[in-house]
Amino acid sequence: MSKKISQEELQKIVASVPMLSTCASQLLHVTAKEDHELIDVIDLVRNDANLTARALKVVNSASFSLVNKITSIDRAVSYLGERIVVGVALGDCAGKLFEKELSGYEAKDGSLWRHDLRTAIASREVALQGGMDISPALAFTAGLLHDIGKALISDYLDGSVADAVEIVSTKNELNYLDAEKELVGFDHTQAGYELAKAWQLPEELAEVILHHHEPSKAKDEFKPLVYAVHLGDNIAMLGGGGTGSDSMRYQLDNAYTDFIKITPNTLATVMLNVDIEFTKLESSLNHSGGGN
Amino acid sequence: MGQIILGVGDYGASNSPEDEIKTFALGSCVSVIFLDPKSRTVGMAHIALPDSSINSAKAAEKPGYFADSAIPALLKQMGAMGCDKRGKGMIVKLCGGANVMDTNDTFQIGKRNALAIKKLLWSYGMGAIAEDLGGNYSRTVAISVAAGQITLSSPGKPNWQL
Repeated sequence: MSKKISQEELQKIVASVPMLSTCASQLLHVTAKEDHELIDVIDLVRNDANLTARALKVVNSASFSLVNKITSIDRAVSYLGERIVVGVALGDCAGKLFEKELSGYEAKDGSLWRHDLRTAIASREVALQGGMDISPALAFTAGLLHDIGKALISDYLDGSVADAVEIVSTKNELNYLDAEKELVGFDHTQAGYELAKAWQLPEELAEVILHHHEPSKAKDEFKPLVYAVHLGDNIAMLGGGGTGSDSMRYQLDNAYTDFIKITPNTLATVMLNVDIEFTKLESSLNHSGGGN
Repeated sequence: MGQIILGVGDYGASNSPEDEIKTFALGSCVSVIFLDPKSRTVGMAHIALPDSSINSAKAAEKPGYFADSAIPALLKQMGAMGCDKRGKGMIVKLCGGANVMDTNDTFQIGKRNALAIKKLLWSYGMGAIAEDLGGNYSRTVAISVAAGQITLSSPGKPNWQL
């Protein structure tokens, strides 16, 4: 059965999570800056032997079907793009968290990583096709991290999935966050935000983690990014890539139309692209050993 | 018991009584199920989108992905297994097609999928005798070929039959 988490316990849970590697942390900060260049990313990767090896392995995996093997890290990063490099780096140092079985949501191990990857791809597609003035690569990274709080509270929700579904269905407004709060005292966005602070993530990523279900509450300057991930998350859930019991049990904030132009046809194209890209990335990132 | 697992955009059919056809976590996707009582064949398609005109190359590669290419493809496969090629005498059931709470219709993709499928079935003179569509939750569907029994499941809910 579920068990309430105190503020102190939440801090203990957050403290028990391994810190990000220096390289991953710097990558997140550099790529969140508007004026960064690819060379900045290449320089960071070059200084991390482990990440260099993984990036080369990914780019030469079957998914990218290269004719000639890439052996230089400059070319590997250019070819993969910064978003995939960030994905490899995160999978590498937080893989255990992403891979964790979410028994509190009746979701098998790997479900969180797959949902996050789908959300990342979908958020980037929304940024690209929705006529948005935000970095598509940053939308991807934000999508990868948005649900990380579920890994922190899932164990405490174990055995109470039916209760959570019942709680959500009795409220006027569908919102699984209410069930999480009622059962364990915190919802996954609050727990994720505590981890974002401990990891010293860039503010825009922390805002996405905290407000991806209620994007109107985000700071104005970050709203476009938060709305992009809000839609990306919903698209991932609609496509069957949720994390179990909470899937689709949230409100869609229709104010997204203030930031994103999306028609039923664009949505269909986005959903199709997400499926295609997901298949490619899932298998290639698996080969890297990160994420799995 | 053989298990035939269908992913998004897959379709398949079986007449081996020991088989089970299964698809996981339908969100806005719709599972179309054909049961042919005469030959005791069961077929299913896991349809993701209503209309293949957005990407005809994808439809050629994976016909099960779109409503307008999936239904002819499934009927063709079942036709090759001795069923009527236009679905005559088949029992049709539909499930899935969930939606998120959206007041301006753009995200009602589950509803659009279901509608496109029903229109297409109508053009074959077919119609569903049972459906479990809509709602705000994911569904996993399993059909036993021997009994033609369809079992649905969703996290946090007791299993149910269609």
